[in-house]
Amino acid sequence: MDIVVKKIVREVKGGNQEAFAELVELYKDRVYHVAYRILGNVHEAQDVSQEAFLRAYTNLDSYDENRKFSTWIYRIATNLAIDRIRKKKPDFNLEDRVGGTENLDYHSQFADETPLPEEQIVKLEMQEWVQDEIMQLPPKYRTAVILKYIEDLSLKEIAEVMNLPVATVKTRIHRGREALRKRLG
Amino acid sequence: MACSREQRTLIDTYLDEEMTTREAEQLERHLQECPECRSYVDECSTAVARLRSMARLEAPAGFTDQVMKSLPKQPKRRQWKTWIRRHPMVITAATFFLVFLISLSSVMGGEETVSVEGSGQYLIDESQNMVVVPEDAVVEGDLVVRNGSVEVNGEVTGDVVIINGQHLQASTARISGEIEEIDESMEWLWYEIKDFMKDAFSFSGNGTENEDSR
Ligand SMILES: [Zn+2]
Repeated sequence: MDIVVKKIVREVKGGNQEAFAELVELYKDRVYHVAYRILGNVHEAQDVSQEAFLRAYTNLDSYDENRKFSTWIYRIATNLAIDRIRKKKPDFNLEDRVGGTENLDYHSQFADETPLPEEQIVKLEMQEWVQDEIMQLPPKYRTAVILKYIEDLSLKEIAEVMNLPVATVKTRIHRGREALRKRLG
Repeated sequence: MACSREQRTLIDTYLDEEMTTREAEQLERHLQECPECRSYVDECSTAVARLRSMARLEAPAGFTDQVMKSLPKQPKRRQWKTWIRRHPMVITAATFFLVFLISLSSVMGGEETVSVEGSGQYLIDESQNMVVVPEDAVVEGDLVVRNGSVEVNGEVTGDVVIINGQHLQASTARISGEIEEIDESMEWLWYEIKDFMKDAFSFSGNGTENEDSR
């Protein structure tokens, strides 16, 4: 896997733009998923993950081939997502929360599976509830918790993604977990 | 709160699964006795289990295409330039090679005589390396001229192909097919350069690999 990625990266660096599509294919789901969990909105998640790949392309020269590509692209994507949350804060976007616009979005992803059986609806509502609680976390805890418990990354990987010492990452995970314990526990 | 902050830190380590078996056993014994710590651990575990149960979403359809469309346009020339920037040695070598080839071809060329393929009426002027199709003449099919120029005043029903020569325009010409000028020495030169570059590229490719793996 890593050898394949290295090869593609070199192709792209050598001027073969088309080869970049293979990188996108390999990482798009992970990037999109992380962006969605941080932002809780499909449109923003798509926007941010596309922007992340565009930035990866334009900054490919700064990518260190000795590191995992996934870590690098996660880093770009999570930074973009957090930036977006911070920019949104002053005029807290009513449209995104009131009336559950994002929930609607969430449902629309399963549109082709209608009608949903009772059990599925309960499951979906549970997912929405958990997602809402994740969204209540301060951004710095949110990323750490998502990377740890949803993406299942190691502490070392999370430290690389967030550009923080492992000890700091641990503290953030603990604080995030503590906050969620009160809401989800 | 009966238990200290220290106990909390211990529990965090336990939840992180970073305890030795002995430490874990010790804490588990405490949990059996202490409902407060026990419910703390339970709540944390439930929260974590809920996070872990989140469905995996996939990027929407057409995602990759949209990313690819958003990338800055990359004209062929730029690829070439990037490549040159990365391999300045090769381009220097190639320039030398080009100069060498040009001088070589000028030494070799110049003694070939004009030859013509085609059926019909035409005049061959060997002193000027020139083929002329007169105004009222017709060449049926293609007219191929090698090592000479051609002036068509009459009619050619096929293509006019000039190898190592020029087509001289005439207003009365009627050529049904296409006019093609081929410069053999240039073609050959180009072919040789491409071949040379290919070798040079694979050679310098190995070079970069060594450089990268520091
Ligand atoms: Zn206790």
